Amino acid sequence: MSELLDARAATLLPDGEPLRRHDAAVFDLRRRRDAAVAALPDFEALRTHAQAIKTHTLDYLDAYLERFESQAAAAGAVVHWAEDGAAHNDIVHGLLRERGVRRVVKSKSMLTEECGLNPYLEARDLEVVDTDLGERIVQLGQELPSHIVVPAVHRSRAEIGELFHVHMQTPSGESDPVRLTEYARRDLRPRFLAAEAGITGVNFAIAETGTIVVCTNEGNADLGMSLPPLHIASMGIEKVIPTLADLATFLRLLARSATGQPITAYTSLVTGPRAGGELHIVLVDNGRSRLLANSTHRSSLACIRCGACLNTCPVYRRAGGHAYGQAVAGPIGAVLAPALSSQAEGRRLPLASTLCGSCSAVCPVRIDLHGQLLAWRRTRAHAGAGERVLQRAAAVVLGRAALLRAAGALVRLCWPLLARRWPGNPLGVWLLGRQLPAHPGASFATRYRRLKGSKR
Amino acid sequence: MSARDGVLARVRRAARHEVSHPGAFEPARMDSGWERFASTLHAVGGEPVGPVQSGDLSWALSELCADAGRVVMGPGVAQSLGPGPWEELPEGVSPQSLADVAVALLRGSIGVAENGAVALDGRHAPVRALPYLCERLILLLETSEIVPDMHQAIARMPPDATRFHHFYWISGPSKTADIEQTLVLGAHGPRSLAVVGIRDLQ
Amino acid sequence: MREPVVDVALFIPCYVDQLAPSVGLAALRVLEHVGCRVHYDPRQTCCGQPFINTGATREAARLARAHLALFEKADAVVCPSASCVSTVRHRYAELGLELGPDAQRLCARTFELGEFLVRELDRSELGSRFPHRVALLQSCHGLRELELGHPSERVYATRPEPGVTERLLRAVEGLELVWPERPDECCGFGGAFSVKFPEVSTRMGRDRVRALAATEAEYVTGSDVSCLLHLDGVARREGLGPRPIHLAEILASGLDG
Repeated sequence: MSELLDARAATLLPDGEPLRRHDAAVFDLRRRRDAAVAALPDFEALRTHAQAIKTHTLDYLDAYLERFESQAAAAGAVVHWAEDGAAHNDIVHGLLRERGVRRVVKSKSMLTEECGLNPYLEARDLEVVDTDLGERIVQLGQELPSHIVVPAVHRSRAEIGELFHVHMQTPSGESDPVRLTEYARRDLRPRFLAAEAGITGVNFAIAETGTIVVCTNEGNADLGMSLPPLHIASMGIEKVIPTLADLATFLRLLARSATGQPITAYTSLVTGPRAGGELHIVLVDNGRSRLLANSTHRSSLACIRCGACLNTCPVYRRAGGHAYGQAVAGPIGAVLAPALSSQAEGRRLPLASTLCGSCSAVCPVRIDLHGQLLAWRRTRAHAGAGERVLQRAAAVVLGRAALLRAAGALVRLCWPLLARRWPGNPLGVWLLGRQLPAHPGASFATRYRRLKGSKR
Repeated sequence: MSARDGVLARVRRAARHEVSHPGAFEPARMDSGWERFASTLHAVGGEPVGPVQSGDLSWALSELCADAGRVVMGPGVAQSLGPGPWEELPEGVSPQSLADVAVALLRGSIGVAENGAVALDGRHAPVRALPYLCERLILLLETSEIVPDMHQAIARMPPDATRFHHFYWISGPSKTADIEQTLVLGAHGPRSLAVVGIRDLQ
Repeated sequence: MREPVVDVALFIPCYVDQLAPSVGLAALRVLEHVGCRVHYDPRQTCCGQPFINTGATREAARLARAHLALFEKADAVVCPSASCVSTVRHRYAELGLELGPDAQRLCARTFELGEFLVRELDRSELGSRFPHRVALLQSCHGLRELELGHPSERVYATRPEPGVTERLLRAVEGLELVWPERPDECCGFGGAFSVKFPEVSTRMGRDRVRALAATEAEYVTGSDVSCLLHLDGVARREGLGPRPIHLAEILASGLDG
């Protein structure tokens, strides 16, 4: 059995206080989102509009990518193309090596997490410092982000204080978020000033102008791309949008959906390098063109990584991001994993949902996320031979009234036995945290026959 | 085949070239007055000041910059001010040399009532790192430049905006909530942001 | 006043037939009370939802075909389980069955009991009496796919009138309706999910049971039997929470005759 979201897996959020805190913290983001979007009377129309822009853009992605490339180049940026994560890492490393760069500051980028850039560069003797506070915390803890917007949301303040104490020699036992943030600021500021290169992600890339747009709250990406002479921006090819005017629609949706802010504190539009500096943009495919060719699943490329589906997902909140075993967790992670993940485990992730549909209802670009999960299940990539045989048998039983009633009669007979926990009980999994209901008595069909038979 | 040609060829095969662009979004009408802008700015942790007349600006800024340490003002600000505890941004300096700036006084343009953002373009912040290095950022905003929403805000961007190499929308001070969702101002950049509304900025 | 006679086919999903027969009887009672002529065909079994949910399309398609054939003649099909209704109405089209116009009509004319009463018959006051404090569990498929209520994620330009389930409960004499905190958080059942990921499923169930217990309701009700069975299982284990009772059972309470 797979360890995804399993009670035995170390990656599952621990029960008790960590679970309670995680659920509350993440659901709080959902509540903030609700309050923010309620202030926009045209919010549902805005979602529809954003979806339409994305659908159009994906339909003409080749043209928009070429347009973006030529406009960015005209503004002085150098555009690189990478087939996959390995090629991306290689390009980034090459740029750093050619310039003799040793110290790199990096802001949040889910793409570089997907490509495994940090370990790749660290193995080549580069110092890579994640500068987003949440990313810095997970970097110090040597783990993956558990959430795409709040990467360290699985950590308690005490745990973060301990990490800082070990790695930054802060006072032992310090767990005040204000002071811990201040320590991180003081630790990171000299690193920004000394860095020779800054790596950032890209939230949107505007084809019309060749502009990249980076949204943060901390301002770390801005320091990273304005202090060192070299700026490398990594982006998936699906990040392109047609025009500057389209950006307004996405900016109105992104932060509101993510954290309930009307816009992130910093929205930076960068067109070409600054005087005396260099800007390199790496366009990464890594499975996206294949996903684009999949007419059932291409809409998942519309995702703007706001995290709203994670915040609302009752499964994600109880499991924690690490349980998904991917760079991107939650509903969108489970939708993307079968297409983009190299791990076989990812193919089981579409099962990790109750299909409650809340994700689809919050998605700012109206991706039918639970429909996507269901569609991935139809590929049956998750089902082994044993499971298939069992299902075929179950379908035979459930397909014939006589067999169903016979099976029902057998279950009734064995009810007291099935209701108890014992090794080998076929309902053992159900009974892990639940009991059986009271004995149901005769079936509806039987009672109906008695009822109507007696009247006639 | 190069990676570029390979990726583009696959994308071209997969793109259907069917669905057209939906056109412009028609947003619901909203208020664009200073009051709404100021209340949104306050909600995102910023500090609305004024609005003042340009004649009172020098006095208002002296208050805001009192005992602050090194105060640097960007282009387009000096002409509105008399002498004070501030210096003009030197030309051709390295961003690292501005690491000790306590207050940056910069000329903003376009305020957005729905999100409290103010635009800052390359002409008014020639050293791109300055608004992020300072401890306190003060932006001057002509109140007639406030628009209701982001659609109008972007429509108002000067046509050559993307040629300034950088163009920022700034909404409130630097912030993080990465430690147990506790909001902390000043994660990396300015710990505070004031926007001074001016009725008749030249 | 006599209502015009409406013929309905009663669709009792397999697990309701076997595990919650009283819900089927209550649905029958309610439909007859409002003047329907109810037809029940004992050959019916399973709509195929468990197979659809695990992607077993071939098995699901076979069950779906049988289901559609059995109800072929029905003008309206009524069922006391929202997720099964959603399966027929929304998911059959995804099975590659090439549904003809009659089959498509049948899918569209398959109703959850409450929505049938309110939307089709325009009946929300049935004369039911249930003098208890009752918490409402809005099951996800009923809420978001059948729109029996208003999902908390949605933004409405103007405040909408109460949803179908709420309207029916508000019309029950003596019933005091209460909402748990996070009124539409999933209970964690999710069909195969409940046994493939039992730990997370149970965590979700426990949180729901606690939220329901905090309302101090005597009963928790909803329009989906499966969610109620799961919650019942968790509540029994935890020794906590109100007793589950299906919407049909409340509506059948205190009816005359």
